[in-house]
Amino acid sequence: MKEKKVLTGRVGKYKPLDLKAYKALGGLQGLKRALDIGPESVIEEIKKSGLTGRGGAGFPTALKWASAAPKKQQPKYFICNADEGELGTFKDKVLLDGDPWAVLEGIVIAAYAIGAEQAYIYIKGEYEKTAKLWDKLADEAKKARILGEGILGSRFSVSLHIVRGRGPYIAGEEFALIASLEARRPMSRLKPPYPTEEGLFGKPTVVNNVETIANVPVILANGAEKYRKLGVKDDPGTRLFSLSADVKKPGVYELEIGSGTLEELINELGQGTRNGRPIKAVQPGGGTSAFLGRDSLGCKLTAKAISEAGSSIGTAGVIVYEEGKNAVEIVKGLLKFYGAESCGRCSPCRIGVVRMKEIVDTLSRGEATSDDLTQLREIGKASVAASTCGMGQAFPLPVLSALELFPEDFETVVQKTPSGTGG
Amino acid sequence: MAKFKMQIYQKLVKDSGGATKENLFSLLGKVQDKFGCIPPEVVHDLAAKTGVAEARIYGALTSYGHFKVKLEA
Repeated sequence: MKEKKVLTGRVGKYKPLDLKAYKALGGLQGLKRALDIGPESVIEEIKKSGLTGRGGAGFPTALKWASAAPKKQQPKYFICNADEGELGTFKDKVLLDGDPWAVLEGIVIAAYAIGAEQAYIYIKGEYEKTAKLWDKLADEAKKARILGEGILGSRFSVSLHIVRGRGPYIAGEEFALIASLEARRPMSRLKPPYPTEEGLFGKPTVVNNVETIANVPVILANGAEKYRKLGVKDDPGTRLFSLSADVKKPGVYELEIGSGTLEELINELGQGTRNGRPIKAVQPGGGTSAFLGRDSLGCKLTAKAISEAGSSIGTAGVIVYEEGKNAVEIVKGLLKFYGAESCGRCSPCRIGVVRMKEIVDTLSRGEATSDDLTQLREIGKASVAASTCGMGQAFPLPVLSALELFPEDFETVVQKTPSGTGG
Repeated sequence: MAKFKMQIYQKLVKDSGGATKENLFSLLGKVQDKFGCIPPEVVHDLAAKTGVAEARIYGALTSYGHFKVKLEA
């Protein structure tokens, strides 16, 4: 298995603020072409490329743009979501630090395509150095007329606001991010209306992930047809996989979609498990994705194949657990995190996550009964069914899948007779 | 980190092109970064300048882990 460096090819090859070096490495060709062909054709080109969102939901990028573009009112907003908070995901940081000009170029093209004169990048609070780098980058870009008035001598103007997040995990969710930019509590809300109808300050807004945006200049520079040759038919391009936890060589690996299997990624690029034990389970799409057991390791790395195997590709944060890890302890850790991060809007998530954690705590102490396992399932299913945003719908999935895949881990710690009934 | 002074804060606001609803969040961030907390005087002043109720600003900023309303000992 080999990496295919389409987005990460320039990472480490130039100093992040060096625009000349970026140009020498083929930069700005995408933006130049975009300004030549006009906004409608840019959206058409992205549509032909089949690019889907890389932030977790996998929504077709061109559709989002096309629904915001025709709206004539100003201001319109474009937001680049760089608040990658998902557990086991650190791919965006590689692009933001390693090839920031490409991300910036993508932002300008996207803003141009939808006709937004105001763009934001919302950088995760913990990425303090990245945010500082971007402040300098924006100054450089203004000097080079890549930001500001009359981009590269055209009549298009856009200004970029660099905003640093301030902690919450949920702020990476589209509406919570918008609420945060409005200086409100970061909370999700019901859709529709979608952000392209009523987004930031009630105006049409497009929110895209960093990796999605980094694809845009590549597509424009080389043409959609060439881009489509990468990957598989209904899932073109490459993806950045963040490989972490029990592997010898964790890191970010860029792979052509469908070019290998989960097992090859872990054993070849990741050089196998940390202690050489067999793999017990894998979360292929970040902390909120369902576990895949050993039987599913032959699964191709496409969104479709992973969802057929029973999980989702999500943010492509591949978390590996080797044999010897107890499923109860793993989900306890996950629930501890999500319990602290529920925004509180939907009661099945707000209360459910706390109850689920309490049950798993009793399991971990060996005090739970089989009724508790039934409850754990029911609460999890309720949150999946009745929550508004991706977090509430997804955080129970690892728990539910662990109950299916590793019943022995749960049942051995369950007491045979109900406790607490004797008074 | 600087000790809180109203003048330093006022300059921060001025350098950001004034305080508006649009830049309130990043302004709160700048105050936090500068002084290590967001003192009550600042919330009071920002509420007056932006027209956002003081209680709303408190409600929001106390829900972010990285914002502090007073210096930590």
